[in-house]
Amino acid sequence: MTTHSDDVTHLAECSACRQRYAANVVPFDPAARRNREREFTSVAAKLERERDESSDVVARYLRDTPTDEWSRLAEMPDLRNNAALEQMSEEVRRRLDRQSTEALAIANVATSISETLPPGAYPSIVLAQLRSTAWRDRANALRYAARYDEALQSIERAESIVQQFVTLPYDHAVVQLVKGMILAQIGRLDEAYVVLSECRNIFREHHDTRRFQQAALAEANALYEATKYTEARRVYEDLLREPLDVEYQARIHNNLGYCATQLGDFVQANIHFSEAIAKFTDLGFTDEIPRTERGAGLVFIARGQIATGLGHLENARRAFRINGMVEEAALCALNIAAVLVERGDDSDARSIIQTIADELAAAGLDKNAIAAVVRLRDAIDMDDATVETVRTVHALIEVLRDSVHESAN
Amino acid sequence: MAPEAIHDPPPVLPPVLPPLPPDGGVDESVFARIYGEHCDLLVSLAVRKFQVPAVDAEALAHEVFLSYLRHADEVRDLRHWLIGAICNASRYYWRKRGRHIEQLDTEAAAERADPRSRDVLTDLPNSIAIAEVLDAMPPRWAHILRLRYFEGYSIKEIAEQENVTSKYMQKLVAKCLQRAQEIFNGLRARKDK
Repeated sequence: MTTHSDDVTHLAECSACRQRYAANVVPFDPAARRNREREFTSVAAKLERERDESSDVVARYLRDTPTDEWSRLAEMPDLRNNAALEQMSEEVRRRLDRQSTEALAIANVATSISETLPPGAYPSIVLAQLRSTAWRDRANALRYAARYDEALQSIERAESIVQQFVTLPYDHAVVQLVKGMILAQIGRLDEAYVVLSECRNIFREHHDTRRFQQAALAEANALYEATKYTEARRVYEDLLREPLDVEYQARIHNNLGYCATQLGDFVQANIHFSEAIAKFTDLGFTDEIPRTERGAGLVFIARGQIATGLGHLENARRAFRINGMVEEAALCALNIAAVLVERGDDSDARSIIQTIADELAAAGLDKNAIAAVVRLRDAIDMDDATVETVRTVHALIEVLRDSVHESAN
Repeated sequence: MAPEAIHDPPPVLPPVLPPLPPDGGVDESVFARIYGEHCDLLVSLAVRKFQVPAVDAEALAHEVFLSYLRHADEVRDLRHWLIGAICNASRYYWRKRGRHIEQLDTEAAAERADPRSRDVLTDLPNSIAIAEVLDAMPPRWAHILRLRYFEGYSIKEIAEQENVTSKYMQKLVAKCLQRAQEIFNGLRARKDK
């Protein structure tokens, strides 16, 4: 029989072992223990009270104050507490995607408040947490605004705050998650996946499933970008062993399909892409199915698996047409045409280009797009078309599609 | 080209809130119960598993409880979270003091069989082989592998200790592993003869 010292999972789950483990082992000062317990409960009560008394206070101030005056909010006594800072963090998170300037303005208010709270307002460890959260949110807002140097400075400030306490590895991991994403976005991939791997392990140890998944996904992404496909695949597979919802499983199968294709494991790649499509089909995500097929088709073709790739692209094109996504179907058809032109199959290429022109015209889409497709058909007729010509038309239709969608929003 | 869905955010799960009194008011007894139910366990883990001095263990456990308060809304499994927190806090405690070894808890270890002992027939030869491989490696390389894989140090922390960049340390660890594999293959070939 060997012995062990680290089966903490068992201790967490077995009441009898837990009691035995903790019983009569540690001598302690009962009075000091009572004082600590009292401090804990009073801090807990204070935080809860503030949350109860401050509900929606931040939303109200933001609504009632012109945006260009938000910086003044740092002086409002109602907002100078933990509950308001928590609400600000939530307001930043909500705005990251579409209103990153507002997110940054709120994060600036939060950092300003957190740095000027009096030392006695909360225990020093709680102050460190709320300060690091404010700096982390600021870093995230800067990241979304593509201001990466400043984002890195902010996240390093957050990191230096939590590192002052040995009891904040979890908060440190939350900071590292953002830091890893910033590093990945600026192309410092070798550092990114190291940082993300570390925080992933901390989240796993804390049984924080949501952040574990975020960290694992970001790590696998960084590994993939760094062309470390074997390592990326291992992280995705690790993730797939977790209890995940079906959508998440579908996306990971899709990503595993990419890894397997890059690794030349085309059988596995097909299995993963098929799994992804089956799960998207079960979910009724009709837009995701052709996108998965198109991604699979392109990556297979890039790896020289032309017949398999074309099969996926045909499936994608058909599904886009069924869904009424004419531009997407046209783009897919242009991907197919590029392959046909490259291998000198001009007759099929011409036929598919003519179909695109007809479909775009029937849908009443942009005249410039249709003209470009017609010119491409004429170039094929004159034996003057190259893969580059096809790609130029593809890029043009993409730009036109995006500008239409942007103006619609 | 990166996979399309690779940047998609993970699903946001509904938070599990800590138990609160039905009227929504503040009930300190809930927090007193959390403290009372877990404090002995956390202190015991710090002391027995990591050999943190009892006085410091109490302080660490207390800080873990305080740090929990700001995460209370998002912690879904309180006991696992607290245990994860005290284990990491104990490791960081020793690292800050320049001690690298996670200590064995001999007393508790004797009480219960290690589930891993089921594989002892395969694990033991592996352990012996690892020791032989490390002995045959240059001391600095063996030290780096010990820090990384036996003591759980991060690449960044080892890099700081060795006064090199994280990127270089990442490469060095990969090189050490490769060398370890070569030594292992050599040892095995010699034994097979």
